[in-house]
Formats: sequence, C-alpha cells, structure tokens
Amino acid sequence: MIGALNLGWLPRAIILGLLAFAIFGPLANLALWAFAEAWFFPNKLPSQWGFRFWEVVFRPTGRAMEALSVSIWIALLTVAVSLAVSIPAGLALARGRLPWRALIMLAFLLPQAFPSLPVYINVARIFYQFGLNGTVAGVVLVHTLHGLVFAVWITTAAFASVDKELEQAARNLGASGLRTFFTVTLPLAAPGIVASAIFVFLESLDEFTGSYFVGAPEIQTLPLTMFLASMGGNYQISSITALILLVPSIGFMLIVERFLKADVMAKMGN
Amino acid sequence: MRKLWLLSTALAALALAAPAEAQQRVTINVMTAGDQNMVDYITEFLGPQFEKQNPNIRVRAVGTGPGEAGSQKIWERLDAQKKANVAAWDVDVGVVHQTMAGQMVNEKLLDRYRGSIQSGSLVTRDTAKNALGSNVDGYVMPMFHSQTAIAYNPALVANPPKTFDELATWAKANPKKFGHNGIKGGMSGQAFVVGWIYANTPNSQQLMEGPYDAAAKNAWTPAFAKLKEFNQSAVITPGNAGTLDMLNRGEIAMGPVWVDMFYTWQAEGRLAPNMRLSVIGPGMPGQPMYYIIPEKAANRDAARQFVAFATSPAIQAEGIVKRFNWYPGIDAQHVQAHLDQQVWNKLFKDVSPQDLASKGKPLPMAQYFKEILEAYERQVAN
Amino acid sequence: MNQSRGLSLLLVTPALIVVLALFVYPLFYSLVSAFTDRAGSFSLENFDKALELYLTDTIFTVVIIGVSTALIALVSIAIGGYLTLGENRRAVAMLAWLYRWPLFVPFIVAAQCMRTFLAKNGLMNNTFVSLGLMDVASTQSFLDWRGIIVTFVWKQAPFVTLMVAGAMASLDRSTIDAARNLGASRLRILLEIVVPQVRGTLMVGLILSFVTMMSVLSVPIMISGGSPTMMTVDMAYRINAHGDYGVANALGFISYLLTGAAAYFYLRQSVRERSA
Repeated sequence: MIGALNLGWLPRAIILGLLAFAIFGPLANLALWAFAEAWFFPNKLPSQWGFRFWEVVFRPTGRAMEALSVSIWIALLTVAVSLAVSIPAGLALARGRLPWRALIMLAFLLPQAFPSLPVYINVARIFYQFGLNGTVAGVVLVHTLHGLVFAVWITTAAFASVDKELEQAARNLGASGLRTFFTVTLPLAAPGIVASAIFVFLESLDEFTGSYFVGAPEIQTLPLTMFLASMGGNYQISSITALILLVPSIGFMLIVERFLKADVMAKMGN
Repeated sequence: MRKLWLLSTALAALALAAPAEAQQRVTINVMTAGDQNMVDYITEFLGPQFEKQNPNIRVRAVGTGPGEAGSQKIWERLDAQKKANVAAWDVDVGVVHQTMAGQMVNEKLLDRYRGSIQSGSLVTRDTAKNALGSNVDGYVMPMFHSQTAIAYNPALVANPPKTFDELATWAKANPKKFGHNGIKGGMSGQAFVVGWIYANTPNSQQLMEGPYDAAAKNAWTPAFAKLKEFNQSAVITPGNAGTLDMLNRGEIAMGPVWVDMFYTWQAEGRLAPNMRLSVIGPGMPGQPMYYIIPEKAANRDAARQFVAFATSPAIQAEGIVKRFNWYPGIDAQHVQAHLDQQVWNKLFKDVSPQDLASKGKPLPMAQYFKEILEAYERQVAN
Repeated sequence: MNQSRGLSLLLVTPALIVVLALFVYPLFYSLVSAFTDRAGSFSLENFDKALELYLTDTIFTVVIIGVSTALIALVSIAIGGYLTLGENRRAVAMLAWLYRWPLFVPFIVAAQCMRTFLAKNGLMNNTFVSLGLMDVASTQSFLDWRGIIVTFVWKQAPFVTLMVAGAMASLDRSTIDAARNLGASRLRILLEIVVPQVRGTLMVGLILSFVTMMSVLSVPIMISGGSPTMMTVDMAYRINAHGDYGVANALGFISYLLTGAAAYFYLRQSVRERSA
C-alpha cells in the first residue's frame, strides 16, 4: 500500500514528460535549426553552430526588421477596425432582439469556413478597381475579415457574460442607455474585448494568403518572408523568422487567461 | 456616437497609413518567381550592383513563390490590372518560367523590348525565341538556364543508374530509397515525370518540337502505368527543397533536383559536400528563367535599363555563373571571357558540357506539358 | 440594456457589411466561375472534372480532418478534465502551464517545426534512438497523413482545450463534489457530469477547428508531398499549374458543402438547446 502510494507519481510524471516532449520537441527543433550552420546526416545534432544565418536575416537587405514593423502596424490597424465593427455587433448579438440571430452568428463564421484562396483572388480583382491593392488599407481590410469571427464571437460572449442585473440597476438609478453602456457594460466586458483584440492581432500577424494577393509587392509582411524561405528549403532562415513570429504568440499565450475569463469562454458561440 | 468616433479614427488612421513615401527616386518592382535563391540573387547581388551604377533607381525585389505557381502569380497580377484597366502596372520587371512567358505574350501583356537593349543581340539560343511552342521572340531575355539531374549520395549508391530503365530497376531493388516530389510540389518533380515520359514513349521528339496532336496522349498510357508501379517503391517528397532535405538526412539515396539549387545548397553548407549529380539518359529536361517587362510597366525605361544590365556579360559571369551556379542566360562565349577557367570548370564538375548537349532536353510544348501533368493525376496519382 | 429590433440591426450592420463586401461578393464571383465552362455558359463540367480527379483527395480530406477533430476532442476533454478534477495541485499547475504553448503558433510555423521533427531521421526519431528505445533501422518517417494529423492536433487541441477548460471551470462544483463524496470515480464524473454540461462549448471549439483545418494549405503542402493529398493543395495546384479557376472553385464549393454540413450540426444543436 505504502509502496504503491510512493510510486503513484510515476505514471503522472511519465505522461507529463511525454506531453512536454510532444509540445516542446517541435519548438526545440526550430531553435536548433535557427542556430545550425551545418547539419548533415548522420549527425543527430548540428555539427556547426553559429549566428551566420541571423546575420543574413537581420542585415539591411534582408529587410526582416522592416517586414516585422509593417506586420505589427497592419495588425494594430486591423485590431482598431475589427473592434470598431465588432463591439456594436457583439452588443447587438448579446443583448439585442435580432431576427435570425443564429444565422447572423453563422455569417461571421463563413469567411473561416470557406477556403480563402479563391476568395482572395477575387478580392484582389475587386480591390484593383478601387486602388486598394498594395496598400496597408487593403491588407487591413482583408485581415479584418479574416479575424472577424473571433472579434464578433468573443465580443458577443463578453457582453453576454455581463450581469444584466447590474445594467438594470444602473438604469433604475436613472442612467441613460448610453451612459449605462459606457459606465457599466463596457468596463465589465473589457477583458473579453481585450481578448478578442489579442486574437485579431495574432491572426493578422500570422496571415499569409490575403497579404500576398492584396498586399505584395508594396506590402511585405513577415509570414511572406518566412513562407518563401521555408518552401525554398532554407530552414535556418525560416526557423529564425518563425522564432520572431513566435515571440508575440507565446507572449500572448502566457497572459491570455488573464483576459479570457472562464465565464466568457463558456459563452462562446452561443 | 462612440462607435462613429472609433470608426472615423480608424479610417483616418488608415488614410495616414497608405504608403506616403514621397521619393524623387524611381523604385522599380522586380517580381520574381522561383525559390528563395532568386530573391537573394536580386536583393544581394543584382540590385546593389545596379543601384551603384544608377543612383536614381532603387530596386525592390519580391519573390512570388517557388515553381510555376510563382510565375502564375505574376500573371495574375498583370491580368488583374489589365482587366481593371489600370494605366500603369505595378510590376516593372518580372522573372518567369517558360509556360507563363508564352501565355503572357499570347495575351499581349508584355513589352517587346529585346531589340532596344544592348545585350539583346547576345542571345541566339532557341529558348530566346521559342518558349514551349509559343513564339516569344523579342519579348524575353533568358536570365539563366538550369537543368534537372539526379542527385545521389555516393555513400549509399556506388554505381548510380545511367538511364531511366536502370533507375527503375535500381528503385525496385532498393525500395523507398528514391524520392521525387511528384507534380504538385515544384518543378523538379514535374521535370522528372516529363523525363520519364520522354524515356518511355516512342514520340518524345514530337512532344518537344510539335506539331501538337491531340491523340498523342493515348500513347502515354503504358508509360504512366509503369510510373505508377515505380512510385510504389519510391518516396514522394514535399517540394524541390524536400528532396534535397531528405537526401541530406540520409532518408533517401537519390532524387531529381535542379542543378543550381544543388550547388547553392552545397555552397551554403546546407547539403553534405559529398553528394553528386548525374543527368541520366535518354535525357532530363531543363529550362531558362526569363526577364520580362510588362506592356504597361510604370517605369518602363528604368526596367529596360535594369534588364540590359542584368544580361550584360560581366554581370552574367560574376552573378549568374560565379556566385549562383547557374548556366548563363546569354550565349556562353560572351560570358566565358569574363571568368577564369577554374570557375568555369566548377560549373561543369558533375555534369559535363557533353552531357548537357546530349541529355539536356527542353520541356514539352505547353499543351503537351499540361496534358502530361493531368494524365499523371488521372493515371498515376489517383 | 435591451435594444429595439431596429437599433440591434443597425449595430450589427457594419460588421455584416464587412462580410458582405469582402467575402460574399468575391465568393459569388468564385461560385459563378465554378459553374461556368471555358466558353462562359452554365455547366457542371468543372464538378465532373473535380470529382474525376480529386474524389480520393476529397475523401482523404474528410477522413484526415474527421480523425483530427476526434483526437482534438479527446485531448481537450482529457486535459480539461484533469485540470478540473485533478487532485495533485502541482501536476494541475504544470499541465495548465504546459498545454497552451502551441495555442497561437501559426500553422505555417507549426508545419515548419513538424517537417523536421517528424522526419525519418528527424529530432523525434533521433531522440528515441539516442535513448535506446528504437534502433536506426526501424525508424520511419511520419511525414504523410499521420504527420498532417499530428500537426493539426498539436496546433488546434490547445485552442479547444482552452475553451473547454474555461467552461469546465465555470461549472457548479456542488454536483461534482456530491458525486465525489458518493464515491464516483473521476472518469465517471468527467464523462457523465462534466462533459455533458460543456458539450456546447466543445462543439463550438471543434467546429471552429474543423473549418480552420479545412482551409489550411501550408500544413499539407509542407508536411506531405504524396498523394492522396488534401483538397486545398489540389485547389492551389489547379490555379498554379493550370490557371484553372473553374475546377479550383468547384473544389472550393465542395469543401464549402462539407463545412456547411459541420455547421449544420452546430446550428441544429444550438436551436435544440435554445428551445429546450
């Protein structure tokens, strides 16, 4: 009995260990490639390490830093536009009386449900007529569409999780609808809205297909750089670019639960 | 109210964000299809060299992705702008594959510029006039020529096969040791399939030179059946780079690759130095990449200047041959004079000029090429 | 704050306009192209060809994504369940810290990681060989359908887990504690009490994952070159190698129907729950 108790930690430790390997193995692999200068069969690890490829990525003609700042700028604008349309929409979906509400919810899912490639090509054709191709505005619009389901669904869930009685109390105290919204509803829903902003930001940062069709060649984002390097088999360059892309991803992952409260998650898509 | 405010701020921000670089200098957009090395060539070698000579012109290179897909994307850009009646197109110079060059000429998307640049008279090869059956005379300048070959690991293969027949026998005896990337993962796999068809059909000359005969494809059926059987003992790799990568990891012992990519990988330390190349008989396809200038390029004169510079003998020698291991685009004798014998010989280390002459084949005519790819999907992949 | 119908519609309009202008309108273009032959008249030619060449790939896609979705469900329930019902605090904390790492990793980065990790002589097999768990000769590459599934599950499971664990955490603990006091096993509590209550959230997470996976191109291209392959690869190939928007759009339409079927189940369930 006592022996069994003492060994009780073992299966748990093994499972956690395997999980850690499954999760960190591929990431560690990326880090290895980023510093590998030569890695030939049958070597199990790189035979030469160094920063040579980092220099390639960061040198002026590599334009990685320019691509990074363009990517971040686009992502921030995308967040602004997304919130501007999704906050009112979320409010209406959570609190309003909407006919065919389920259908409207589904409408926002549609862009995610249809393979984006054929759509983006047609978007590009339409954008040419308005001179939106190759502009930040064009890319921002495409990214807004891309992240809209997260923006609207999470915002809706955030508003839905705000206690109606608090709003009612404010109204009873004589506050106008608008005032109630800004002083009670919006602050209470704020963590959820921040979470949706984070999702949109990351979706935008990582988006590739739309940026290419609508943005290139004027707009060069980081995923574009990485895709080219990866398909060209330049694993060092693409691993380094991937690591740069991972910084905000991992950073947000570590703090996301601070914003995405369990009660909001529970209301997602309802 | 707040919503309106948010919306208008966002719109204002958008307006500010539009690229407002007020430059006096001209920037030419060079869009290039192909692997990363194509972009590297322009950003690291050609662009800086050109800017040094022409301080008022800035070169901006954009890669559109590997394989025909990259060329297709350049075509899409031009086509979309033509359909939208845009007056000045945003691609000044394009670097494209043969099929797309032919299509672009046929659809009148290109500028006929070769006669008006200095280096235009330095190409006499057939590929400057004919791209897979389309007449492109005057519209293109070859940037370089490349060739597919079988790369092998001498540690695992002592006597590499010399023909497609020997290869088939070898692959059967060594299952899962030969890898190619099929037809959806880049040109080296497509070239392998084409080479297979050349080797296993009686009328391969007609495929390359025409005339087009809609019934020709019926003769391919046994060749594809054989290829399907061959694939059973082969590995399908993810992309041109995937083949080299698997070779490097010892997962396969042999596979079709582009000669230039192979040398570049070796030079950069991404491929073990002991790997070798061999062009197997009766022959494997190769192709040039073309410089094209769109009909309504926004900066046509600068674009012409750029192409003239890029195809000048000194640049072809230093950039194309010496640094990037490609076969020159313009006629070899003009280039060879600018290089010492050692560099020149390095280019032919594994694949001799004789091999190139006898076993380097063009791709089939565009129509046949499409039919071969589609027949592969229907009869081999399905 | 209850709004009138008109105000509600007004508030939701800007977001709907984004969808209409940037998605429905271009989608209409692509549908027209799917149902039009080269001469420009209505035809089902593209669908004939799509099914003739890519039926295997369509089935393959459904199977891959179906299996991935099922595995994601299993993983998320297992992890979420342990986080909710686990008794070893340190293990729960470690697991909560651990599982989320791939959450926001872009697909293209995930594919790049796996491409070298799962290869025959990749880091995974090399580790097993070095630990003596396997010998060099018996290693095999996972860069085929298995690799695609592994990548999908690796990338999407944390997302669904985050949602499911959130829903589980907000459950009323009293029933769970009561069942625990009556001596019910944790597995039974998980399956009979916890999971039924978070079914809605689980379904939403799975549907979002399903449709996301349906339109990912980078993973199948980078992980597995072989055939059969996934429909997104075929679509890209039709456009890239043949400039054939018709067949590509027809394939797009088919994958739209497939995701539509998944969405239908969600809709049906959500209606049922609303009326219940």
